[in-house]
Amino acid sequence: MNVIEINKLTKYYGKSRGIIDVSFDVKEGEIFGFIGPNGAGKSTTIRTLLSLIYPTSGSAKIFGKDCIKQGEEIRKEIGYLPSEVFYYDNMRVIDLLKYSASFYKNVNKSRIYELAEIMNLDLKKKIDDLSYGNKKKVGIVQGLLHSPKLIILDEPTSGLDPLMQQKFFDLINEENKKGATVLFSSHILSEVQKMCDRVGIIKDGKMVRVDDIHTLQSANYKKFRIEMKEAVTAEYFKLEGVSDLSVDKTTVNFIFSGDINKVIAKIHDKTISNLIVEEPDLEEIFMHYYEKEA
Amino acid sequence: MNILLRELRANLKSIIIWSLSMIFLIYVGMVKYSGFEAAGQGINELFDQMPSAIKSIFGISGLDLTSISGFYGIFFLYFMLLGGIHAVMLGAVIIAKEERDKTADFLFVKPVVRARVITAKLTAAFINIVILNIVTLVSSILIVSIYNKGNSISSQILNLMLALFIIQVIFLALGAGIGAFTRNTKKSTSLASTILLSAFMLSVAIDLYKELDFLEFLTPFKYFKTAQVMGSGSFEPIYLLLSLVIITACTAITYLLYKKRDIHI
Repeated sequence: MNVIEINKLTKYYGKSRGIIDVSFDVKEGEIFGFIGPNGAGKSTTIRTLLSLIYPTSGSAKIFGKDCIKQGEEIRKEIGYLPSEVFYYDNMRVIDLLKYSASFYKNVNKSRIYELAEIMNLDLKKKIDDLSYGNKKKVGIVQGLLHSPKLIILDEPTSGLDPLMQQKFFDLINEENKKGATVLFSSHILSEVQKMCDRVGIIKDGKMVRVDDIHTLQSANYKKFRIEMKEAVTAEYFKLEGVSDLSVDKTTVNFIFSGDINKVIAKIHDKTISNLIVEEPDLEEIFMHYYEKEA
Repeated sequence: MNILLRELRANLKSIIIWSLSMIFLIYVGMVKYSGFEAAGQGINELFDQMPSAIKSIFGISGLDLTSISGFYGIFFLYFMLLGGIHAVMLGAVIIAKEERDKTADFLFVKPVVRARVITAKLTAAFINIVILNIVTLVSSILIVSIYNKGNSISSQILNLMLALFIIQVIFLALGAGIGAFTRNTKKSTSLASTILLSAFMLSVAIDLYKELDFLEFLTPFKYFKTAQVMGSGSFEPIYLLLSLVIITACTAITYLLYKKRDIHI
């Protein structure tokens, strides 16, 4: 079953592009990574899902309900953590969390203390006096206190120290095991790689690709490093499927996708002194996508 | 209910300060009255020599300043100005501040429809202007009674407060409409104060140039004539109707615009 179904979602801000024809699904119980550089349209997509902004065309459904028409009902089951958190400055943390809880039915108040304990958050302080990282913790607690079925995270880790990041990821993983679906937007690939089952890549407002993270990582791409006995030209390795080709006298680096035998045939005729073939990390694949599409 | 309580609490400090200023204004004004009363008819003669422009700016044209009701009538202009500024700012800010403080991303991802948020906010603002009105009424009656040696003017004060209340609601609705219409708080507060001051300047201009009186419908400050409200306690039906139209239209615009707009932070 799909928790999120996005269908040709388009948003223009006046004449400037937000997102164009974005379509993808997020399945129940998965952690879906949503990656792209700043300004690619991640936040626009998420803000449309939350009906903070209205789409120019296209539609989106969450839990099978229309995001705009049934937004209120949908949002009962959503926990959202924005990239930058802002709260009512003169409130105390505990008052803000109670205020947040008052919007939901049947919130177990002990959950607030439980989460605050995990995130090491001082409930008595005023929001105003909190550091950025601590405000972020308030954001995490208020996003999770009603045990939402769908957790939407928009660049959630900025401002958190590594220890807190780890606690946060553990928390999200735990919620996921309990059945929560997670939409995780980020431009930091390593964290997406660690957490997610599938990823969608967005660029310049358009979805470039949606794939299983392992497919993306292993099936198609190999990273080659070949050290030749004699210098070669870049021309020699210009095969279909080769990208990021760099030749420095005798050393050749590239990423290859396709039938690996074609590369082997190429180097069969030459004398080589070393050959390394490895899995590229997601970052390299990602860059590769971006360059290819550019 | 939670949003309403939150807004009431958020505006608590502000309404206390406004109320104290109002009480202070009335008190200081009435202290002056004791001096005027002592000076007797000479004061009226003195003011009669003043240019009518000055008189209308200070709101003293057509009033007998040595009688307590005439003197109290001066206050009405200041009440309208203060009450108007309070209401128009409150209306504009209460709507626009969620985006200014970037708390919109907190509030509107909760399971609420925007209309409910607007209703709660307008209710909170309404309660605030009612409080300011009641504070003005009660402190007027109390302070006036200290200096009043003749008949009680409480019923006249009550009539003025009713007129003040309608003006407060007009400006609250205007402010809310502006808050929903403009993208950021800075713009909405400056637009709100511009509208209020223009309305006030227009009302002064009408006092000076009687030929302009066909423009009276444009400025709420002209909807209720102090002497008439205090004298006969009657309101002109056409202006009551106009007030109702403005309030209804601005409130409807607030809901419609806010429902349709994109929330940006």
